[in-house]
Amino acid sequence: MILLVSITVGLSLIAVFPTISEAQSEQKTFVTHSGAVITTSGDVIDPLYTVSTVDFDPDEFLRNFEYGRVSTSETGQTIREYTIIAEDDKIQEISPGVFYNVWTFNGTVPGPTIRATEGDLLRIHFINNGSKEHTMHFHGIHPAGMDGVFEPVGGNGGQFVYEFEAGPVGVHPYHCHVMPLEEHIVHGLYGVFIVDPKEGRAPADEMVMVLNGLDTDFDTENNFYAANTIPFYYQHHPIQINTHELIRVYVVNMVEFDPINNLHLHGNLYKYYPTGTDVVPSFYTDMITLSQTERGIMEFEYEYPGKYLFHAHKVEFSEKGWVGIFLVQDNPNNSQELDYGT
Amino acid sequence: MELNNNTSRVKVIASGIIPFAFVIIMMAYIFGPGSDLLDFGIPLPEITIEKIDFVDSEIQATVRNTGPIPVEVVMADVNDRIHPAAVEPDGFLERYEAALVRIPFEWNEAEPYIIGITVGDGTRFEKEIEAAAPALQPTLDLAVFFAIIGTYVGIIPVMIGLLWLPFIKKISKSKYHFFLALTAGLLLFLAFDSIEEAIEVSDESLAGSFNGSLLVATAVVLSFLGLYYSGEKLVQRANSSKLAKPVAIALMISIGIGLHNFGEGLAIGAAVGMGSIAFSTFLIVGFALHNTTEGIAIAAPMSRGKLMIGKLAAMGMIAGAPAIFGAWIGGFVYSPFTSVIFLAIGAGAIFQVIVVLMKWLREEGDRNLSSASVASGFAVGMLVMYLTSILV
Repeated sequence: MILLVSITVGLSLIAVFPTISEAQSEQKTFVTHSGAVITTSGDVIDPLYTVSTVDFDPDEFLRNFEYGRVSTSETGQTIREYTIIAEDDKIQEISPGVFYNVWTFNGTVPGPTIRATEGDLLRIHFINNGSKEHTMHFHGIHPAGMDGVFEPVGGNGGQFVYEFEAGPVGVHPYHCHVMPLEEHIVHGLYGVFIVDPKEGRAPADEMVMVLNGLDTDFDTENNFYAANTIPFYYQHHPIQINTHELIRVYVVNMVEFDPINNLHLHGNLYKYYPTGTDVVPSFYTDMITLSQTERGIMEFEYEYPGKYLFHAHKVEFSEKGWVGIFLVQDNPNNSQELDYGT
Repeated sequence: MELNNNTSRVKVIASGIIPFAFVIIMMAYIFGPGSDLLDFGIPLPEITIEKIDFVDSEIQATVRNTGPIPVEVVMADVNDRIHPAAVEPDGFLERYEAALVRIPFEWNEAEPYIIGITVGDGTRFEKEIEAAAPALQPTLDLAVFFAIIGTYVGIIPVMIGLLWLPFIKKISKSKYHFFLALTAGLLLFLAFDSIEEAIEVSDESLAGSFNGSLLVATAVVLSFLGLYYSGEKLVQRANSSKLAKPVAIALMISIGIGLHNFGEGLAIGAAVGMGSIAFSTFLIVGFALHNTTEGIAIAAPMSRGKLMIGKLAAMGMIAGAPAIFGAWIGGFVYSPFTSVIFLAIGAGAIFQVIVVLMKWLREEGDRNLSSASVASGFAVGMLVMYLTSILV
């Protein structure tokens, strides 16, 4: 009887006081979204405040454009050659503490931003080092045999060369087109393909934002949303821009599972060019709605310095990571701008 | 001669050790490093959110690693919206280790919430709370409140039941057997009830890796065996001392019912603690009605001895008072694991009481259990409990 009672008491003590273990004396504090200050002796779990150790750098991706190895053909056409390697075995920390198997073009999600001028000949040497079949399917205009749909490239070193003329002008996605397509896309096999008009666009501080989501537990619902893969990254590391400087953002929505995504800019409105195919903006707005692989170009300037949010106004997405900040600083070249009038 | 003795001892020891050595070799072969005999596939992380507390500007989730591999708690969300949080003592959980996740959140009373916890590989686990209610603080007022509830549910009904004693004393032997069997029937129902409740709690809040039903079965059998053994000892002592056998049996019944009432107290306390006011009221009324029949169970065996008001009252307390302790524990330090264990122990205790009752009935009834009074008593006992359970 005594034995029984002591076993019972012992078991219940373990169950009732589960958190008894070596007590840590070190106290940490953190500030919540609502400004409350929390003190704890334990770990702080926070995708926002902990120092990010992620190995994909959204800052680097933001303003990085790959123009390829450039040469000129006998006819004077510009040839841009790229080497793109697909892999599907990379475990990446996509949010502090969360490790997820991403499938990559050239080691990153999204893959490199391929940029060319309309009429350039693109030659993309595709190597598939993954374990599955992968391809590259570019949105845009190209011959059927270059579509990356009916020519699956085998894994473990399979190769294919995609060759076509860049066009039409605009911002387009590229992605793997092997079935099941949803799986290949949500794992990260996509990137941005920008075709500039021959006459070019006005000088601007240009950046790329791929709106994406990650379904880390495979229940066909996204656990994280982000602009450029890492949730909350640009809220943690605001994007620095200048007042009175034209900002041009190439936005591509690659979110799977959810029918729409959107982008709302604070304290400002932008000119919006759907798909970027037209040189005349279709909207002047602070809010666009994007279905899967819908994309466009946003252009705006900030007049007042300070911090401005941008985020999905589908608030669920922003509260799961798709939110960021523009830190607007007074333009050091403002004095030059004054010269324009003279 | 001595040499001979030694060699034979060595032989005995060796013959004991050699098969054991083979067992070790076999286990090393099956489980040892480099063995690919057993491949159970990829171990998946699993955590169970055992409890959610709503405190001042904070939601607190008690999580336990109930999977086969260590996990790290890396993120918390409320209604699928990610929120910064603290994990105490730390986010890294070994198997069966638990941690408290504190999520600062201005929650609204009576609203439903889904609390999600994400572990290192991105898997999200969630628990739904139907209506947020402030976690109970162990104040004196509340402790008194629980004590009063426990008294109403446990002590008073049992005492009322005991009032049947004079009636049972005056009836014939076969009617007396009827009441003894009735007691066994009542108790059997309570045992099933406890087991059902225990399995329900384990299904709702206990991780699959605890093997809820098997945990219940194990606890039932262990408590049955433990109480049976110590009960026999008690009866033996009762035979040699002044403590009469009916008293010993009634005492065991009281202990069994006491454990059961402890479980009932836990259920009430937990229901109040979780803010299920309607459910807790239902439990209080139901248990109170139910428990009057428990008084009969204690009174029936006692009726053949001398009338001992003091002892009877003490047994009423033994049977009833644990409801108070149960309500305290259930309300202030509820844990699904303890609930399951206590409910199962209660069931085991009741089975032991039934076995003892049946043995006694068989001895009393000229080694015959198939009399009409026994069968009908048993049946009526079950039926009465079933009907009162429907009524409330």
